[in-house]
Amino acid sequence: MTLTATGAAITLSGCGKTFADGTRALEPLDLSIPAGETLVLLGPSGCGKTTLLRIIAGLESPDAGGHIAFDGADVTTLPIEKRNVGMVFQSYALFPNMSVIDNVAYGLRVRGVAKAERLRQAHAVLEMMRIDTLAERRITQLSGGQRQRVALARALAVRPRVILLDEPLTALDAALREHLRAEIDSLLRRLAITAIYVTHDQAEALALGDRIVVMRQGAIAQVGTPREVYFQPQNDFVATFVGITNRLAGSLKAGHFASAAGSLPFAGADKAEATLLFRPEAASLCAPEETGLVFQVEQVQFQGARQRVVLAGADGTRVVVEAPAEQLVAAGAAMGLRLDPSRLSLV
Amino acid sequence: MLIAQLTDTHIRLPGTLAYDVVDTAVFLEAAVRHILTLTPRPDAVIVTGDLTDFDKAEEYARFQQILAPLPMPVFPVPGNHDSTQGVLAAFPAVAHRATAGKAHYVVDEFALRLVMLDSSVPGRPHGEIGAAGLAFLEGTLAAAPARPTFICAHHPPFLTGIRHMDVQNLFDAADLAAVIRRHPQVLGYTCGHVHRAVTTTFAGIAATIAPAPAHSVSLALDPQAPPTFHMEPPSLALHRFADGQLVTHRSFIGDFPGPFPFFGPDGRIIGSAR
Repeated sequence: MTLTATGAAITLSGCGKTFADGTRALEPLDLSIPAGETLVLLGPSGCGKTTLLRIIAGLESPDAGGHIAFDGADVTTLPIEKRNVGMVFQSYALFPNMSVIDNVAYGLRVRGVAKAERLRQAHAVLEMMRIDTLAERRITQLSGGQRQRVALARALAVRPRVILLDEPLTALDAALREHLRAEIDSLLRRLAITAIYVTHDQAEALALGDRIVVMRQGAIAQVGTPREVYFQPQNDFVATFVGITNRLAGSLKAGHFASAAGSLPFAGADKAEATLLFRPEAASLCAPEETGLVFQVEQVQFQGARQRVVLAGADGTRVVVEAPAEQLVAAGAAMGLRLDPSRLSLV
Repeated sequence: MLIAQLTDTHIRLPGTLAYDVVDTAVFLEAAVRHILTLTPRPDAVIVTGDLTDFDKAEEYARFQQILAPLPMPVFPVPGNHDSTQGVLAAFPAVAHRATAGKAHYVVDEFALRLVMLDSSVPGRPHGEIGAAGLAFLEGTLAAAPARPTFICAHHPPFLTGIRHMDVQNLFDAADLAAVIRRHPQVLGYTCGHVHRAVTTTFAGIAATIAPAPAHSVSLALDPQAPPTFHMEPPSLALHRFADGQLVTHRSFIGDFPGPFPFFGPDGRIIGSAR
């Protein structure tokens, strides 16, 4: 079934937010979200991601000069009720003593959809989410994960132009979180609805986002696809916040990056001080004579299919790499490091 | 800034009358039409509780349908006829703003800061802000001491002289007063519950009970008087915040003769020549 005619394209221009106490929660920012995209707002607590979501929802208005448009139409002054957005967040906000189907049909009832039709539409949403068997259960009879599925079904039933998900999985346990994350991902892709997903969990962000907006202290630190953000972080903050990142301090000269551990070819203009960033999985271990970068093995952690190896450079710089479990790596030995050039960034 | 206040709307299922007398939905529809005719148009509508008569999802849905023509944001809190969970389920925007499992929240969007307090107590007619609610209020007020603030809840924290209502007012009023007295930016407190316009001072600030758009609790100041209601002219409260001052008007809902000019085209008071 088609749940939404079209997701809305969202354009934010000059949207900043200063709170009543003078705190600048969000620096003025511009952002374009194409219709149907799943955009993840990722960052630590207090980075402004929830404020940005609330501005898109209509729960906060931007400071003077900021504008937000859905499909080109200015919605800056429209309250949330008039924006046709759906919301799902940590607390479920369902009618506890009512059945699942009646909860899901509630928004359609408010819109005056006749009973038979709203039940038909609500059942269709439940079927699409594969929870139709829960239709007649009361909310009080459901588990946390089931309730969150019902909350999502309820938000989708009114065919919103945009769905806003604010840390929807945070209250659930890890295994369930992963399971539901996969379900949400598949659902959002099938619906082609514009979705804004707020999370502090980088794994969630990488798995769900068409693009990720990494935020820090009220400003955008980087916007990019999960691969761009992961493999080509534009700054130290993004590199640190999104997964484990290794850093090698050195310089760039004549097409070579040189550090205390050795050097490797790297295209770019000369730079007296440069830091090479790479993920553990962008590196592999080899014999010292096969590469220009040589480290001493400090620690080996066997992890089943892989082993995690901690290495130290001549100046004491530590890097972490992953190696196949069968590779012979002994603590104290000297080993070479080979880096995948497509997964390096220099800041 | 202009705020229209609806309260004690007691919406029920179609075809049923409150106390076998009042078709509350008809009165709320009239109140909504009235708000839409106001010039300037209110920036926000607050609803201080008893949105529904029996806390049923169908009643919340009907309430929301009736309010749908309003273009401005609507900020409700539950009354004793509603429940926290009912209001949070019906209004996801409130649920997203709310804290501590109750419908306490702040509206920071306007020149006048609104602190909405959930005074409902499950299954009981009286009200309590509760320790968590008072802590929320204290923290919220401490965070913005320079922002003029209006507190909105369902239950009155003072006695009106109408005994059968006074016994079910806000039970932790003294604790609320202590918090308010610590924060001089609070300009006023408004509530509902008593279905009639009442003003007093409380904790050194203006306190009002807004009138209801449907039935009014009878003005019965005799302590022995039985609980009754009258169908007095429906009205709503209109709060105007300008130049640092909060002024509350009572706006009657309905068609009344007028407006009649005071002055004629010649600039003289009409009738002064006679």
